[in-house]
Amino acid sequence: MDLVDLIAEKRFIGQEFLTWLWWKSEERGGVVELPGEGDIVVVFEKHMLLEYGEGDSNESLICRGLQTELQEARTGLVMGKKLEQARIQLVYNDYEWNFTMAAALMEFRNVKLPKTGGETGNENDPEAREGMVLERIFLFEELIRLMLDLFRIFLQIRIGNEWRDELVKIRQWVGKAERV
Amino acid sequence: MGFIKGSASYVRFAVEGDLPENIWDFIADRVVSFAFKDIDDTYDEDSLGWVSVLNMFDTEFDFASYAAGNYVTLSMRLDERKVSSAIVNKFVQKKEEEIKKEKQIQKIPRSMRVEIKESIQNELLRKALAVPSVFDLCWNLENSTLIFFSTNKKAQALLEDLFKESFGLTLVQQIPYVCGEHLLEEGEIDQLALITPDIFV
Repeated sequence: MDLVDLIAEKRFIGQEFLTWLWWKSEERGGVVELPGEGDIVVVFEKHMLLEYGEGDSNESLICRGLQTELQEARTGLVMGKKLEQARIQLVYNDYEWNFTMAAALMEFRNVKLPKTGGETGNENDPEAREGMVLERIFLFEELIRLMLDLFRIFLQIRIGNEWRDELVKIRQWVGKAERV
Repeated sequence: MGFIKGSASYVRFAVEGDLPENIWDFIADRVVSFAFKDIDDTYDEDSLGWVSVLNMFDTEFDFASYAAGNYVTLSMRLDERKVSSAIVNKFVQKKEEEIKKEKQIQKIPRSMRVEIKESIQNELLRKALAVPSVFDLCWNLENSTLIFFSTNKKAQALLEDLFKESFGLTLVQQIPYVCGEHLLEEGEIDQLALITPDIFV
């Protein structure tokens, strides 16, 4: 299958991952455990975009709110819409990233990197400049690594026997939105 | 914007294909060969090539300025002359009116109208200033991945072509399914291929 077909046929995988991550982070009040690394903070905030349908009949719903006040977005899930974009705060060690994940293509958008001490170096000094560039690359790649670690956990559950139980819990969580 | 300063938007690619043993010599040669060429003093419609991430006028890359540790950092620069269709239509109509008056005719034949449009379009394009766009990238030589700092699909397609032309390597966008193939074990990948969308309500 070529990439264009894969993008169309498998876009649900990224969207299911993002929805699962939202549930997973709310399950423990904004904390998700990364095996071997410990807890990381994953908070869904401010902005979400949900999608419904495919191709020409595609509809989207934009929701804004604060953290779990994103009631409208959860109601969107009840209506069968899928989470396509979400603004996420991710904290690991002393680093904090803020970014929007676009799920279908796994795009990192408007990524705000953690504040570090190395941002005030002399830009005219080639060594200081290279150090600054390498630090930014590390922070971009570290965010990718953490998201891929979370994605691996999701995939292993998604293709395994655990998924049925996980799905029941997610449905209960989505169902809560219906009752509120 | 993005890679060097401020907030950034990016996507990941895998770099597929083999590099020669003398990697840095090869890259130095290819980057300069496919460096951006200015079109401000020409009538070319567009130009695409590599520039330094720190300075879009730097196409010399002194002291291998694109190298940072095991990474290659480059910007893809595209200069394009564009004329809006409203402007083209305005000048085409103007010209047509002139010809009608001059030749005392009611209607201009279709073939002539096509000719007028083409010549007006070329003339306006020559007069238009080339608008630059710059897109940064960071190529990790150790694990053969590349971060491209734009989610613009046209820019991504241009990057794939320029990268292939420059280095003979193929870029494969790391969409979730493709990432999954890299993250999972062999048996798991077969299971991944079989899953279908689930309903969350």
